[in-house]
Amino acid sequence: METIWLYQFRLIVIGDSTVGKSCLIRRFTEGRFAQVSDPTVGVDFFSRLVEIEPGKRIKLQIWDTAGQERFRSITRAYYRNSVGGLLLFDITNRRSFQNVHNWLEEAQSHVQPHSIVFLLVGHKCDLEAQRQVTQQEAEKLAGAFGMRYVETSARDAINVEKAFVDLTRDIFELVRNGDIKIQDGWEGVKSGFVPNTVHSSEEVTKGSRQCFC
Amino acid sequence: MEDRDDPSYSPVSSLHLHQRHRSPSPSGDVISRGHLQVTCSGEGEEVRASEREEPLTCKLCPRTDDVLPIKCHCDVREAGEDQWAGLSRTDDVTEAVRTNQNSSSCTKESKVNSCHRPVTAGSCGGGASGGADLHLDELADPTRTVMTSNFDPETQEEEGVTSDLQELSSDDDDDDDEAFTTDPPLPPGELCPAPTVTASAIPARSKNTFQSGRRQSAPDQLVQEDGGSESELQSRRPGIVEFFSSRKQRSVSHSVPGWKLFGKVPPKQSPTKEARIIQQEFEARQVVACSSPTHHAAGQQSWRKVEVEPLSTTALILEDRPQNLPAKSAEETQRHREEYEVMVAEAKRKELKEAQRKEERKKERLRQEEQISNNTSIWTNQILPQWDHMKSSRRVRDLWWEGLPPSVRGRVWSVAIGNELNITAELYEIFLCRAREKGRSLAVTQSDEGASPADREASLELITRDVSRTFPSLCVFQKGGPYHDMLQSILGAYTCYRPDVGYVQGMSSMAAMLVLNMEEVDAFISFSNLINRPCQLTFCRVDHQQMLRYFGTFQVFFEDALPRLFLHFRSSGVTPDLYLMDWILSLYTKPLPLDVACRVWDVFFRDGEEFLFRAALGILRMYQDVLLDLDLISIAQFLSRLPDEEQLSDRLFSYISATPILSRNRKWSQVLSSYSS
Repeated sequence: METIWLYQFRLIVIGDSTVGKSCLIRRFTEGRFAQVSDPTVGVDFFSRLVEIEPGKRIKLQIWDTAGQERFRSITRAYYRNSVGGLLLFDITNRRSFQNVHNWLEEAQSHVQPHSIVFLLVGHKCDLEAQRQVTQQEAEKLAGAFGMRYVETSARDAINVEKAFVDLTRDIFELVRNGDIKIQDGWEGVKSGFVPNTVHSSEEVTKGSRQCFC
Repeated sequence: MEDRDDPSYSPVSSLHLHQRHRSPSPSGDVISRGHLQVTCSGEGEEVRASEREEPLTCKLCPRTDDVLPIKCHCDVREAGEDQWAGLSRTDDVTEAVRTNQNSSSCTKESKVNSCHRPVTAGSCGGGASGGADLHLDELADPTRTVMTSNFDPETQEEEGVTSDLQELSSDDDDDDDEAFTTDPPLPPGELCPAPTVTASAIPARSKNTFQSGRRQSAPDQLVQEDGGSESELQSRRPGIVEFFSSRKQRSVSHSVPGWKLFGKVPPKQSPTKEARIIQQEFEARQVVACSSPTHHAAGQQSWRKVEVEPLSTTALILEDRPQNLPAKSAEETQRHREEYEVMVAEAKRKELKEAQRKEERKKERLRQEEQISNNTSIWTNQILPQWDHMKSSRRVRDLWWEGLPPSVRGRVWSVAIGNELNITAELYEIFLCRAREKGRSLAVTQSDEGASPADREASLELITRDVSRTFPSLCVFQKGGPYHDMLQSILGAYTCYRPDVGYVQGMSSMAAMLVLNMEEVDAFISFSNLINRPCQLTFCRVDHQQMLRYFGTFQVFFEDALPRLFLHFRSSGVTPDLYLMDWILSLYTKPLPLDVACRVWDVFFRDGEEFLFRAALGILRMYQDVLLDLDLISIAQFLSRLPDEEQLSDRLFSYISATPILSRNRKWSQVLSSYSS
């Protein structure tokens, strides 16, 4: 029987307000760019299936958080149950880049005892003329924190797919290698199921390994 | 009709008789049946052919049944010489005409299967094509239906032959034969014109008429003159009279596509009308078929019915197949007719229902409007002048629950919110000026050193962004919109007035609601006082601890009111912060359509903060069945933007009223205060 999805990963998207978090997610999940989107209050939800390898589908549950600082008291509760995160800044807004530190600290202090695989995203790369953050310095920062870096544009659909799929692949590798384990009471990674048979994570992992060989 | 034995009886009419004779053949292949009245007018002389001859012709010419349809395309010339000879003569008619006629005859056959009306043909190709027109009618290319044939100059000088099926059908009154009437949407009187209609007088409906004549020069005038003299009804019908005298011209007309579905047929002129006409024709035909003696009355009936006729039918099902395909069998034809009847009946029923529904809706709307205007005067003249005295009365509270009339909404909100903070217009001006100065200085220093990313500092910038994305569908808050500046001013002034609260995303839609209902200063006063309420202050500051109190209290009532959904939410991991945060902070402007949100506000100002949570329970109760089938993400998505449905406001409020905010006899405030410690 075909599994609908192998795993479900919960991703959290953070970054200053108005860097374009919701637009990026909407582009990824709905395939369109909304000129106007409501400011996010608290958290919004999105989901999409991603096929990282033929027949291997991952369900992504994306939590889109409000960027405004005062919402952090709410959103910090959402780190704990996330396995991955996209940390966005706006390449035309230097301040949002400088805040990346704060966001990381915030996340790391609230994710214990788990950890989050982060991807640093320089958003609005279509606005090259207004760029305030160079690609080099962003890559340097990402390297310092052990993250990948990608520049995206929701408006022009640049690297949007890549950003999410790369992050998903990274997490999938970690799950397959056992670096990330499925645990009861933790929502970060959930294993998919074949109808009537609930697989334990090990079974699924073994199964996928066999397929690889 | 009386002219059959007239010495001047034209060859055309004899041909017509002949064709009629053939029509009774059961085979679908047989030439079409139709009622054609053919008159030939030549130099003032009029010849009328009537259908009444039909039985006679049958007798006279029994063998015509064997004649293939194609043979009826005789040349008029032949017919003129020998009334029956034309049957076998096809030479003068081009192949194109023949094939055309073939198909058209099939068409007719299929359409008027039940009618044993003999076929009439005005002239060689023309009669049949005229018959075909009955079906093809408006669908067909007009040029196609106007067939011409060469008349023998000797016998038919200047003859215009006009056949109008419609007229013919009405002629059939006297016959027992039902007719196959092609009733156009005409008043009953027109359905049954006098039996003595001359060719020229016959209304020349372009498509049901074919006229042929030798000379191109004369006919138009001729017809019009005669028509004018004949009867008014005829003159009322528009006519297209075309004469083609030369072979060349005829061949042109023959080359017109023969089958409207597959051929190259020019676009229809007025599809709706045509569909209607087809339907009416069909109707009329049915009626006639059932009761030929009362044809006239039937015609009237069908005319009266026109009002509720379904207009969507094109009756294509009644059409015959293209000539290159085998003809429909009689059963198939019958079946198609039955199917068509069913479809028409269905469509009629639907349209009737639709009409009734519209009527009801209209009444309902009128009733509502009346009620609103009544309520408006009650609020304006009775309640508002003695607000403090009346606001708590049972009557006012009941009226309040119904929702405030939009014209008094702003005033009622304003007095209901009050002005505890004693804000004045001057104070607003002061803070507004301060906000503008700040905005200017921010623009100067903003570019670099954003090292103070404090929320307060960024507020003004954020306000600018959020204002233009407030209620985008209304298009009034966007840059350049009428309320853009006002909304920005109010929010900016507020952050200066209350830097301890500042701006929070979600405030913009709250302020926008007020802006939509009151003047600028009043909106600012109401906004400031509204945010100053404990619940709003908690959520606007995103005071986590206080919010947990509210969520915890809500959960108590949630579990009591909707235990099943409560458990489902708990097992799915749906916590109140995932949806209540949004609902309370935006005061329902985000999840609910604007009009419903307004009504929630109305009662919120009547009942206070507990109503916000009661409304939440009402929403959950209303969608309980849907929510029980969803998982976390779907629930959260569903709740963040609720479906906009008809009558949502009334439905929601009936659910809300069925959900008192009571838990084991404890009220909202009691449970909330028990959480304080």
